[in-house]
Amino acid sequence: MHGARHGISVPALVLFASYTGFGALLQGVGFPLGAGVLSTLLIWALPAQVILVGGLVAGTALPALAFAIGLSSMRLLPMVVSVAPYMRGGRRSTFFELLCAHYVAMTLWVEGLRLLPHLPGEARVPFTLGLGNMLIGVSMSGTVVGYLMASSLSGPLAAVLLFLTPLSFSVLMVRNATAVTDWLALAAGFLIMPFAVQLDGGLDLLVAGVGGGSLAYAVGRWHRRRP
Amino acid sequence: MIPTLTEGAAVLIVVLVGFLPTEVWRSLAVLAGRRVEAGSEVFHWVKAVATALLAAVVARLLFAPAAPLVAVPLLVRLGAVAGGVAGFALLRRSVFAGVLVGELVLAAGILLFAR
Repeated sequence: MHGARHGISVPALVLFASYTGFGALLQGVGFPLGAGVLSTLLIWALPAQVILVGGLVAGTALPALAFAIGLSSMRLLPMVVSVAPYMRGGRRSTFFELLCAHYVAMTLWVEGLRLLPHLPGEARVPFTLGLGNMLIGVSMSGTVVGYLMASSLSGPLAAVLLFLTPLSFSVLMVRNATAVTDWLALAAGFLIMPFAVQLDGGLDLLVAGVGGGSLAYAVGRWHRRRP
Repeated sequence: MIPTLTEGAAVLIVVLVGFLPTEVWRSLAVLAGRRVEAGSEVFHWVKAVATALLAAVVARLLFAPAAPLVAVPLLVRLGAVAGGVAGFALLRRSVFAGVLVGELVLAAGILLFAR
């Protein structure tokens, strides 16, 4: 319950609004509402969901679309690896570790790294589940509300809703950046991407993410080790 | 528009094309990442890669956005994000204030430049 209460917060409001935008997108392209809400529960990563719907609209072949979504979701691996040491608490259970990992996306990663280290070991799994269920529930509601509201949204309002995702991600990433490596990784990913987008073969995220992140790690390590 | 997609077909696509390629990374991370402790060198590297990947996704949403945002000039989009980050930094590091300032800058930009 402690975790659920932390779910009612600014990140939850931002999630609700972002998923309202996603719901509106579903309605606009004629994607069924039930499957769209299911995607929020199961995929639980807005960029992947947007790529899925956008790819279907563009007529992308399903295997190619699955590959693109796999690439965009690869960022979840290092996110889960980096927050898992704080989520597992005292005793280890593979079932609960896999269950907790499902809730890891942008918001729970940021909030988990911020809040979990202050909790005693045995409270961490319940906290993660409470916060995660609250955030997913809020987002599923947002998806439905956006779908139902979509017909009444005008162009500028749709733009403002759609803009919530990159805007809130930017502010949350800046809040979470503490070490030199964090800032370098932010800058590298952001600055390399406009050039990487022009590469063929859907490798842009790999180049900007793995390349930029590794570069930031190398420079940050040199900075940490400096006498 | 997506040409006729039934609820059942859409559910299958969500599970096979959306859920599986996403969940596989979370599960791999749990199974492969067990021995990674907070503060280790590997930990620093994966955190840097995750941060850069997310920054890259945000950059793509800004530089190559979906339909309703295409009509908004790139400089307005970038200015609104810069305004949001500045608002966050200046207004007691409040995420809400930052998002609000960013959206106000975007709305002003749309009124001024996207007509």
